[in-house]
Amino acid sequence: MIGRRRVVRSRRGGVELRIPAEERALLASLLGEIGHLLDGVPEGASAVDPLLARLFPVAYARDADAERSYEEVVRAELAGHHREVLAVLARTSEATHLSDADADAWLGALNDLRLVLGTALEVTEQPRDVAPDDPELGRWVSYTYLSYLQGELVEAMSGSLPPPAPGADEGVPDDPWGEPPGGLRWDGTDRPGVT
Amino acid sequence: MTVAAAAGGGTQVEQAPTVEADDEPSETFVTESPWLVVVWNDPVNLMTYVTYVLQKLFGYSRERATTLMLDVHNKGRAVVSSGPRERAENDVSRLHRHGLWATLEQPG
Repeated sequence: MIGRRRVVRSRRGGVELRIPAEERALLASLLGEIGHLLDGVPEGASAVDPLLARLFPVAYARDADAERSYEEVVRAELAGHHREVLAVLARTSEATHLSDADADAWLGALNDLRLVLGTALEVTEQPRDVAPDDPELGRWVSYTYLSYLQGELVEAMSGSLPPPAPGADEGVPDDPWGEPPGGLRWDGTDRPGVT
Repeated sequence: MTVAAAAGGGTQVEQAPTVEADDEPSETFVTESPWLVVVWNDPVNLMTYVTYVLQKLFGYSRERATTLMLDVHNKGRAVVSSGPRERAENDVSRLHRHGLWATLEQPG
């Protein structure tokens, strides 16, 4: 996996993909494995498959009623967005050049695949030793590969961003809750901001 | 691409009292205090990806986006934008489309 870059910025805009066939096959297989989970996402505020929880995060961590109303409004559109970026990845899985728009969709799709795999593997911030006979070894390899590929794609795509918007940096508000500990906390496992 | 945070809204919480010319009692209009959009640390999203998303969605410079990303990583969270509830919701939904853990919070 180490060696030649898989993704480079293209002189004609977009990115060039230099991904070997066996890695493209891995992407296709992950798409097949994970993409269909999205077909079963219910509309409205009903609970989604736990594996997909990271694709449908909580917006109102402290207000269940507001959260329900929010989900009623955004769920279908958000599910549609996830399906769309995965469909772009499927459609262009053999491409050697991607437009900026398609490359951006790839970023989203690779991230979605990582979020689902990361959820399945219960990834934490602590590095984990995976034994050669671990039944999840294959998934760990896939996850690591996706991280690697996404990292290259982010780097290539950073060159496509327009210059900073005038005054945008001054618009960032202060954090009123002070330094943790104290204020808002999140244990990272349940819901943000709730302790 | 939108530049939702560029206007820096949300800093004006209170309007000056308005005195009617015909000697009616003066009124104070207090607008809703701004909602803050918070991005939370998570173990999956790549640091470079979070920086990229903040640049892309809010038009921040790479330096500013990197500072916010490091706050997320080191402090566990960062406020990335603020404004009226509708705009904060919109920012949260855009962050969710990119797989970030984002909530909207109203301090106080």
